[in-house]
Amino acid sequence: MPIFRSEEMVLCQFFLQSEASYACVSELGELGLVQFKDLNPNVNAFQRKFVNEVRRCEEMERKLRYTEKEIRKEKLKLHDQGENPRAPAPKEMVDLEAKFEKIESELREVNTNNEALKKNFQELSELKEVMTKTQMFFMAHGEDLHSIVDDAHRAMGQEDTGIVTATQGSVQLGFVAGVIPREKVPGFERLLWFACRGNVFLRHESIYQALEDPVSGDPVYKDVFIIFFQGEQLKNKVKKICEGFKASLYPCPETPQERDEMLRGVNTRLEDLKTVLSQTADHRHRVLVGAQKEIRTWIIKLEKIKAIYHTLNMFNFDVSQNSLIAECWCPSSALNEVRTALKNGELLSGSTVPSIVQMMQTKKKPPTFFQTNKFTKGFQAIVDAYGVASYTEVNPALYTIITFPFLFAIMFGDAGHGIIMFAFGLFMILNEKKFTRQRSDNEIWNTFLGGRYIITLMGLFSIYTGMIYNDIFSKSANIFGSAWRMGDYNETTTLSEYEEYTLDPIYFFRNGTPYPFGIDPMWQPAKNKIAFLNSLKMKLAVIVGISQMLFGICLSLFNHLHFRKYLSIFVEFIPEVIFLGCLFMYLVGLIFYKWVTFDASESQCAPALLIQYINMFMFSSKLPNSTASSGALVPCSQVTFYPNQQTLQYVFVICAVLSAPVLLLVKPLVLRSRHNRKMLLSGRAPGVKSTEALIPNEVTAEADGNTVSRSVNSEDEEVPHNGPTSIFLVEEEEDDFEFGEVFIHQAIHTIEFCLGCISHTASYLRLWALSLAHAQLSEVLWQMVFSLSLKMDIAYIGGIAVFALWFAWANLTIAVLLLMEGLSAFLHTLRLHWVEFQSKFYEGDGVNFAPFTFKELLKMDSLEDLK
Amino acid sequence: MFPELSFNIDHGYLEGLVRGFKSGILRQSDYLNLVQCETLEDLKLHLQSTDYGNFLANEPSPLSVSVIDDKLREKLVIEFQHLRNHCLEPLATFLDYMTYGYMIDNIILLITGTLHQRPISELISKCHPLGSFEQMEAIHIASTPAELYNAVLVDTPLAPYFIDCILEQDLDEMNIEIIRNTLYKAYLEDFFNFCKGMGGGTAEVMCEALAFEADRRAFIITINSFGTELSKEDREKLYPRCGKLYPDGLEMLSQCEDYDQVRTVADYYAEYKELFDDAGTNPGDKTLEDKFFEHEVKLMKNSFMHQFQFGVFYAYVKLKEQEIRNIIWIAECVAQRHRAKIDSYIPVF
Repeated sequence: MPIFRSEEMVLCQFFLQSEASYACVSELGELGLVQFKDLNPNVNAFQRKFVNEVRRCEEMERKLRYTEKEIRKEKLKLHDQGENPRAPAPKEMVDLEAKFEKIESELREVNTNNEALKKNFQELSELKEVMTKTQMFFMAHGEDLHSIVDDAHRAMGQEDTGIVTATQGSVQLGFVAGVIPREKVPGFERLLWFACRGNVFLRHESIYQALEDPVSGDPVYKDVFIIFFQGEQLKNKVKKICEGFKASLYPCPETPQERDEMLRGVNTRLEDLKTVLSQTADHRHRVLVGAQKEIRTWIIKLEKIKAIYHTLNMFNFDVSQNSLIAECWCPSSALNEVRTALKNGELLSGSTVPSIVQMMQTKKKPPTFFQTNKFTKGFQAIVDAYGVASYTEVNPALYTIITFPFLFAIMFGDAGHGIIMFAFGLFMILNEKKFTRQRSDNEIWNTFLGGRYIITLMGLFSIYTGMIYNDIFSKSANIFGSAWRMGDYNETTTLSEYEEYTLDPIYFFRNGTPYPFGIDPMWQPAKNKIAFLNSLKMKLAVIVGISQMLFGICLSLFNHLHFRKYLSIFVEFIPEVIFLGCLFMYLVGLIFYKWVTFDASESQCAPALLIQYINMFMFSSKLPNSTASSGALVPCSQVTFYPNQQTLQYVFVICAVLSAPVLLLVKPLVLRSRHNRKMLLSGRAPGVKSTEALIPNEVTAEADGNTVSRSVNSEDEEVPHNGPTSIFLVEEEEDDFEFGEVFIHQAIHTIEFCLGCISHTASYLRLWALSLAHAQLSEVLWQMVFSLSLKMDIAYIGGIAVFALWFAWANLTIAVLLLMEGLSAFLHTLRLHWVEFQSKFYEGDGVNFAPFTFKELLKMDSLEDLK
Repeated sequence: MFPELSFNIDHGYLEGLVRGFKSGILRQSDYLNLVQCETLEDLKLHLQSTDYGNFLANEPSPLSVSVIDDKLREKLVIEFQHLRNHCLEPLATFLDYMTYGYMIDNIILLITGTLHQRPISELISKCHPLGSFEQMEAIHIASTPAELYNAVLVDTPLAPYFIDCILEQDLDEMNIEIIRNTLYKAYLEDFFNFCKGMGGGTAEVMCEALAFEADRRAFIITINSFGTELSKEDREKLYPRCGKLYPDGLEMLSQCEDYDQVRTVADYYAEYKELFDDAGTNPGDKTLEDKFFEHEVKLMKNSFMHQFQFGVFYAYVKLKEQEIRNIIWIAECVAQRHRAKIDSYIPVF
């Protein structure tokens, strides 16, 4: 059974002909069932055999990434049509390289042209702005440069206008105009002022329209400026500053007619450029659309090639036979598929020499591999989150499929909420194809989607427990007709009249037949509802909890049998069952006994379970109807259930107490005596750690050095099946026995188990507590929010109130009861499984099987996903 | 009362971050692999498996050393900018102080470049991005230090350091060197006082680091000034006065006339004596410069031993710079097929 235990794994050695190895690995990657071992862990990445191919792949990746970036820039999408091209043969790599090279160079050419054109365009539009702005400027201030300076001086409030006017005639004022990024203006202005000591005059004005940066395509905001100055020296300085601030200067003619003419020229050139630009954009678009269709296929192909070469780099090269040696883990059930895949690979590559597959014996722990489907995957993930199962140990995921939703539902018991949850889960399942293809980035949604089957089952089970609790949005349904009669109860009286009733079966129970399914709806309005439900749910929690723990212990039996630890059956499993059975199964038995034997008429005088149970440990139970030595009447609750109860309980407690030392002591002692006996047999003093044991092993490794079948990693203890060394291998089982360690381990286990039984039983009471909390919360929500509107006795307004309060109630139900309560119940269920259930048998220190597979590649959206 | 108590409120995140960055610094084993590289492509492949990741993935082959240099530096700058953008006072000022050193270097580079008639755009690309400032590109309008101050530097944080070197002389090689060292002296002393004012672990760690920096400059200035026209009085003015050499050592240094005398001065100070003793000019010996770098690395590594202080930020940048120098050294050796000296990098961890 593949889900009960993990797959049986074997360590294989492949001898692949070097010409066939690529095709073989490609086939194995498609199969995805082998996990290769790195046989050259000490070799640098760049010293491996196929490093050149990997490098070529990386170069191609770079080109594709560039193309992809361009495609995305063009706002085109990469379509996932579910294509799965095979990895191309190595000789096709050259074709791919050429193809990518062509596309990249074409794109780069188009881009450089485009950039140049855009740059030209930007310059022209800047020039146009400069022209129009200066024109406006000169129109506003008059043509005469001097008047402008005068204006400026006046504006600056300088009083010595006389001096300026006096020198006017002789001064030749020049100006430069240009464009500068807006954010640089303040610094530019200040530096101009400092550097030229206030002898220049700067005006600037914003260009409202954003210009496009030719390279990145981002919008840039710029200002037009015009600087007036006098003299060559200042001109040089101004120009240098402009250069320093990356301001572009544009020639600006002195006279208005020339400026007009230039503006016209610029405008026509701009128009021409626009048409050219749109044509290049079209061309670019065509190239990109062409690439867009195929890029995903290319990416997948390329990644497959790269993955294959990475894998080949993990192999060992055998020069003498011109073959590659690979070592891998694979499930033994898949060996035939692996062989077929290798054959296919040979056929594809046309190799004549067949590949050889050889099993190897090893002491290394194989990886854990579970075949999962979309249904079991979620449950397996829940178990794996705690710890991956050790190799071939019992997998709790199988039972989790049912127990998990069931324990959840006990806490979440409300049929109404269950229906919503079930509907949501079903909705996700029905649309799962669509949703999984969408690959959302929303982590919360992905979590829900991944657990869709869990959610559906949890909803389904909640409907069931909700019906048992008779809770539907905190209301009860009277389907079969209540079995209770209350005073003058008849079909016409409404329940609300009985709201204050305390239900007592002696007076109100109509006849002997109880309500056929679940709890009688009559309890819903009863005053003693909570007292009744608490008693019921608490007992149920204890029963369910102890049953699950006992089941967990039983599973440990299967582990012991499977791993042939027969000793553990007698000194671990049986004492554990005795301990749990004598103390806790007995309690469960008492619960049932009390349910069955005491009816309502005797309920006043039924013994209390708790007191009985405490008395059991105190060895102080009282006989029925007997009087204590003091002569006072023993209270009913102290009286025993049945005759000879005391004796039986003595036996139980003593058995339980005795099983603890058995659990603690026997196993370490037996192991020690076994070890000592073995040491004696092998002629060594007990307790002396053997160092010689290693020597024969080394010798064999050396002697065996020239045989081909020797494991490649000589430091590993792996030896091929048919090699002569396997004889030594059996002998070589040298377990370092450390009595102290074993004893402490066992002591921890014992303490954990004994205390655990008590605390875990108490822990299962959370089933009751959470279910109580859930029921109360939903009742509060109904009474405090929604029922207010139903009681409203005002015409029309009441309708509005119903509408508004229903909205509030519905939202709160979803947010608080379904999401928050659901999450909390989920977490508690998780804990009950991880701690209370799995601690009884689960080791969970395995390593997950990580096969070499191409499947992950197909999920990839773009090259950027590679990390 | 105890600044350490509330340190994490403001700077805990960044300190954690920088300690995380620190674990990405290449280790000895990485260097051992790097020196085995045959080509720059090998180098790239190995760096990919380190914390640098795919930083060269988008560079077309063939690679050149300068591209690697740019990319290495870019990564450091991105990290530094991230720290700077997320920090609060007084860490913000502290990090700003760290950039002033680069600003000084940039200014000197630009002035020297313009002196040799190089185009400004070519020079700008050589400037360290950590030390760039807005007015930087207009530096070439200045022809005298006074102009430089009035037009360009007056608005920058370096202005107060510049006051000492406003002379109405032309800028020539000698003056530029003097300007550089005067600026650096003022900068180091200011930074030293700032750290001292911070108190606590920052003062403890940073004062030691800056004192070493100051002493190193004093030694180097002295050694480099032999055979130039720099007078002893001028030389003394350039020594930063915040190191362990101050005041007696600097006094003695200013009287030195050859290398041996400098060495005698260093003999008075245990840690410097050691550096001078091991350094040599013979092939196979480590140069004095390398010894200084080694000592710096040691100091910086030690600063990670203290928690709740800003020294780690300074140390991280310095260590990363050393690492960049190492990688570039190895890359140069690989590129020029000059493997004899490839081992003279300075391992950090």
